[in-house]
Amino acid sequence: MTEDMAAARLWLSRIHELPIRESIAVMNVCGGHERSLTMLGLRAVLPETVRLIPGPGCPVCVCPEEDIADAIAIAMSGNATLVAFGDMLRVPMNASKDAINTLAGARAAGADVRPISSPQEALATAREHSERQVVFFVAGFETTIAPVAAMLAEGVPDNLSVLLAARLTWPAVNMLLQDPEAALDALIAPGHVATVMGAEEWRFIADTYHLPVAVAGFTAVSLLAALYSVLRQKLENRPFLDNCYPELVRPQGNQRARRWLNEVLEVVPANWRGIGVIPASGFGLRGVWQRYDARQRFEVLAAPRKRIGEMPPGCDCAAVVLGKRTPEQCRLYGKACTPPHPVGPCMVSDEGACHIWWQAGLRAA
Amino acid sequence: MTRPATGGYGMCLSVPMQIIAIDGFSAECEARGVRRTVSLFMIEDDEVAVGDFVMVHVGYALRKISADDARTSWQLIDEILAVTAS
Ligand code: SF4
Repeated sequence: MTEDMAAARLWLSRIHELPIRESIAVMNVCGGHERSLTMLGLRAVLPETVRLIPGPGCPVCVCPEEDIADAIAIAMSGNATLVAFGDMLRVPMNASKDAINTLAGARAAGADVRPISSPQEALATAREHSERQVVFFVAGFETTIAPVAAMLAEGVPDNLSVLLAARLTWPAVNMLLQDPEAALDALIAPGHVATVMGAEEWRFIADTYHLPVAVAGFTAVSLLAALYSVLRQKLENRPFLDNCYPELVRPQGNQRARRWLNEVLEVVPANWRGIGVIPASGFGLRGVWQRYDARQRFEVLAAPRKRIGEMPPGCDCAAVVLGKRTPEQCRLYGKACTPPHPVGPCMVSDEGACHIWWQAGLRAA
Repeated sequence: MTRPATGGYGMCLSVPMQIIAIDGFSAECEARGVRRTVSLFMIEDDEVAVGDFVMVHVGYALRKISADDARTSWQLIDEILAVTAS
């Protein structure tokens, strides 16, 4: 048995020793956490009284349809190369039967759409094709957006622009906790968002909502330590902010990354797919950086468009993202909707709960 | 496994890599025999040196980590990939 496995077992046995009488609902905000704990099979080894609920931490899942429609319109205009993180290519939007409803569909129809895995690749594509407009479609949370801000701050060629679908994580959690129906007892905060923004950003959960909260990393040890922390906080009725990922997360985060974020971007109200507009929850380009805004560069985006819907009919992604339903409660899960044929965004993304549960072999009853 | 070992692995997860060479804000990094150019633009002042491990997210080093933590992270990635592949 490795050292880490021994440490994980120790945390697990401590959790089992806790005098938990009533069911405790813990939301793991981050899609990466959901992935780790589902793939490691942690739910099955926890006491039955502990319920782990996946939260809104999937940037692909909450990227609004209008942004995907914008990206498709730019790609189909033939005037630009569109680059995006791979997952975004397959995210479907709700379009009429014969209309193109994914970026992959646009690509199949001849548009120049390319998957990339880093801002550096967007930059390289723009440098290689200096005669052509290159648009970087960016859906992501703070951890991904800080590198994009850093890329812009470092200097990019004029033919590169960004189509931002950038979101902040904590405002969505804040909104969720304001809902009187939110029956959550504790939260596990996202480790890599906190690496950039700092653990302190999550203090409001303990201070404002009097709920236990712990920042966690992605290993079994870190996740179980965080879970033990919040369960104990709950049982002792003494909520505070704990940091169970100190090797990466500082109280104030990565100051340099935060500086780039502040310098290049400003916080704006933003629409979350299936959820609606959340105040101060997205990023827009600030001042001089607006010249890199694809929305200002491409006329096709100004053309009137049929109102875009929210989710494909029958898809429960919005409820899944808000922790109100679990994937297998969706009627389409594993039937009409599977990873090779996703109906909603939660079945596309590596961080979408539907995709993760299906991949881990969880089948509907 | 269809994804490269050191990138595109979700948008929130990051992978540990070891620094082989540094040139300004750019570092040559390696993990599992795969080499990649990684930006040090987000690393806070004078923090890293050749031989150090860094947590890399979408091509940017987020922070230096210990060799031990790098190893643990890779074990996790292996475990997850094993489930994904099966
Ligand atoms: S299973 Fe498919 S249709 Fe149902 S909520 Fe998930 S993504 Fe949407």
